[in-house]
Amino acid sequence: MAQLTATAPSVTAPRRVRRPGGPNVGRPGIGWALPATAFFAAFAVAPLVLVAVLSMTTWSGLGPPQYAGFANWRTLLHDPVMRTSIWLSLVLTALGVVAQTPLSVLIGVWAAGPQRNRAVLSAVYFVPLLLSSAAISVLWRALLDPNFGVPAQMQWLFGDGNLFGHRSTAIAVLVFVSTWQFTPFHTLIYQGAARNIPQVLYDAARIDGAGRVRQFFSITLPQLKNAFITSVILMVVGGLTTFDTVLILTQGGPGTDTTITAYYMYEKAFKGFDFGTGSAIALVLVVASTLISLVLVRATGYDKMRSELEGL
Amino acid sequence: MNTRTALAAGLAASAALALAGCGGKAPAAADRPENVIHVLVYGDATNKVEKQIVATYNKTATVKVVLDTIPGADYQQKLQTIINTKQAPDVFFNWGGGSIQPFVKANLLLPLDDMIKSDPGLKANFLPSVFNTAVVNGKSYGIPMRGTQPVLLFSNNKVLKEAGVTAPRTWDELLSTVRTLKSKNITPFALGGADQWPTLMWFEYLYDRVAGPDLFTKALNGDRSVWSSDDSRKALTMLRQLVDAGAFGTNFDSVKFTDGGSPALLSKGKAAFELMGSWEYSTLQEASPDFAKNDLGFTTFPTVSGGKGDPKNIVGNTNNFYSVLKNTRYPDAVRDFLKLQYSDEFVNAQLAIGNLPTTTNTEQFLGQAASPDYSRFQFNLVKDAPAFQLSWDQAYPPAAITPIHQAVQQFFNGSIDVDGFIKAMQALPPAA
Repeated sequence: MAQLTATAPSVTAPRRVRRPGGPNVGRPGIGWALPATAFFAAFAVAPLVLVAVLSMTTWSGLGPPQYAGFANWRTLLHDPVMRTSIWLSLVLTALGVVAQTPLSVLIGVWAAGPQRNRAVLSAVYFVPLLLSSAAISVLWRALLDPNFGVPAQMQWLFGDGNLFGHRSTAIAVLVFVSTWQFTPFHTLIYQGAARNIPQVLYDAARIDGAGRVRQFFSITLPQLKNAFITSVILMVVGGLTTFDTVLILTQGGPGTDTTITAYYMYEKAFKGFDFGTGSAIALVLVVASTLISLVLVRATGYDKMRSELEGL
Repeated sequence: MNTRTALAAGLAASAALALAGCGGKAPAAADRPENVIHVLVYGDATNKVEKQIVATYNKTATVKVVLDTIPGADYQQKLQTIINTKQAPDVFFNWGGGSIQPFVKANLLLPLDDMIKSDPGLKANFLPSVFNTAVVNGKSYGIPMRGTQPVLLFSNNKVLKEAGVTAPRTWDELLSTVRTLKSKNITPFALGGADQWPTLMWFEYLYDRVAGPDLFTKALNGDRSVWSSDDSRKALTMLRQLVDAGAFGTNFDSVKFTDGGSPALLSKGKAAFELMGSWEYSTLQEASPDFAKNDLGFTTFPTVSGGKGDPKNIVGNTNNFYSVLKNTRYPDAVRDFLKLQYSDEFVNAQLAIGNLPTTTNTEQFLGQAASPDYSRFQFNLVKDAPAFQLSWDQAYPPAAITPIHQAVQQFFNGSIDVDGFIKAMQALPPAA
C-alpha cells in the first residue's frame, strides 16, 4: 500500500485528498476489537488458564483442588498410554487426510461440472454431513455387527467379523467412518474452488491438445492449491480433536488400542474423576494442535493466500 | 494502557476467574432450602415407583419431598459436579460400594447408624447381603431402594435340547458342554465383549468360586498381594482355558450387550448360553417375546470342585441405594421418607414393574410379581447367598473402572497374560 502511494504519479502538489477506502484510511481503533477480545478471553483464554491451573492440582470435583506441582505432568511423561495416544491421534489424522483428500478432490471436481445428474447425486452425497456424528457412529456400529451386520454376509472379506477386536481393523473402521462422514464437506470446498477456475484455461489447454487427464493434472489440481490447504488444515485440526466417533464406536478399545489423546482426556477427567491429569492431557492437546496448525499454515503459505490466477 | 499491559491484565483477570470457579466451601445446613428435601434419582422407567412413593410421603408430611431426576448414563458425573454445591440433593440414588466411597472420604455423607438406632427397621427389614454393600468403614451409608440384579446363567433351551446337553452344574461339565456345542458349530457362550463389563462377570464368579469372597475384599482394602496368590492364578488359568477352548467364539470383542447384539445371539440360537445380569430377562421379553416365554432358561453359575467359595455365593448389582447428605436440614424427615422404602406399597409397586426389591417382606408378595417364578428364583438365591459380591467395577471407586475394564478385555483377547492381569490389578488406585 505504502509503495503504491509513493509511486503514484503526483501531478499536482502533494495535497492529500481523502477518499473512502483509499490508502490513507487509518486502521480502525483498537476499541473495535474489544467485543471479540472479551468474548475470546471469556470463552477461550479463561478456560485455558483454568485448565493450566488445574493441571497442577489433584482434583476429583469434590472439595477444593489440592496443589500438586508437576506430579500430573511427571505421571503423564511416563505413561505409556499417553505416549501411544499421541501417536494414535497422529496416525488417525494422517490416515484421514490420505483417505479423504483424493475422494473429495475427485467428487468435488466432478460435482463442479455441468452434467445433468450432478445436482441430484451431489445432494445424495451430501447427506452424511447432515447427520450428527453420534447418529453416524451408532449406525455404523450396528451395520458392522459381526453376527447380524454386513460382515456376517461377507465372510470372504471380513472373516469372523471381529473388526473391533484388533487394533488395525478398529483403526480402519474409525478412518472409514470419518471419511464417510466428512468427505461431503471437503467435497464442497473443492467443488466451490473448481467452479472458480476460469474456463479460458481449459479452452487454451484444449487448443494445445491436452486431454481430460492432462487438463486435470495440469490445470485443475494446481488451481485447487488454496482449497487443498484449507481442507487439509480443517482435516488435521478436526482429526486431532476427534472424540465422538471413538467414544461410540470403540470406547478406546480393544484395551487401549484406539485410545487417542482426546478420548484419554475424557477417560481420565470424566470417568476417573481425575481432573488434574485430564487437564494436563488437554493442555498437551492444545499445544500440539496449535503447533501443528502453525507449521501447516507457515509451510503451505496459507497465511499469505496468494492467488493462483496471476496473469489472468 | 498499551496492548501488552492490557493483555497481562486480561490474563490475570481470567486466572482469578478461573480460580474462583473451582473449589468453594460446602454449604451448611442453614444454607439449604427450607421446608423441602430434594431426592435425586437416576432417570429411567423406575421413576414411576419413586414418584408414587414421594406422593404417598407428601400426603402427610410437613417437610415435602421434591423428586429430581438425572436421565441417562451421565448420572455419576453430574452428581459429582453438584454434590458439593448448594444444588446438592438431601437424598440421592447410588450403587453403594465404590460409587459413594469418594463422598464418604470427602466427609459429605451422613452415617445412618443413629437413624437405624431410632428405627431398627431401617436395617432389619432388608436382606443383609444387600444392605452390607453400602457399608463403608463399618458405618451404614445407604438404604436399598430399587431391585436386586444378580448375575445368572441364561440359556436357549431349544438349542440345548437339539445339541443334547443340559445346563452345566460343575466346571468340568461346563468344559465338556463347550466341546459338544463347538462340535455342532454353536457358540457356547454369547459375550458382549465390546462392552467390557459382561466379560468382567466371568472373573467375578470364577474368583468367588475358586478363592471365596475374601480375596476380593482384601484386595479392595488395599492388600495387593492377593492378586498374585495361587488362587488368583488358578482362577485366571481356568478362564484362559475357557477362552482358548473357544467358549466365546472369536469375535466377542466386536459384540455388545448394550445394542442388543449378544442377547440376539442367544435368542436366535447362534449361542447356547449367556452369563448376564437378571435384566437379561426383561431385555429379551422386549426384544423377542416368544423366545423369552418358551425357550429362555436360567440357572446359577456352576460350582468349582476344590474351590473355597460357597456355591451359593452370587455376584452382580446388589441393589441401588439412597444415601443422605451430611448437611441435610431435616434429618428426621429424611428418616421418615427412607422408612417408606420397605413399605408394602413400595414392594408391590416395584414388583409390578418387574424389579425385585430386597426387603424381608418381599417374599409374601412374590405371587404378584410380573414373572412370579423368575422373581421367586432370584429372591431365594439372594436370600440364601452367604455372600453377594458387588460387581468389581462398582466396588472400586470410579477411577478404577476403566483400568479394570481394559484389563479384563485384554486378558480375554490374549494381549496380556496371567502376570499382565495381576500387574494391572495391583496397579489399581486403592479404595480406601
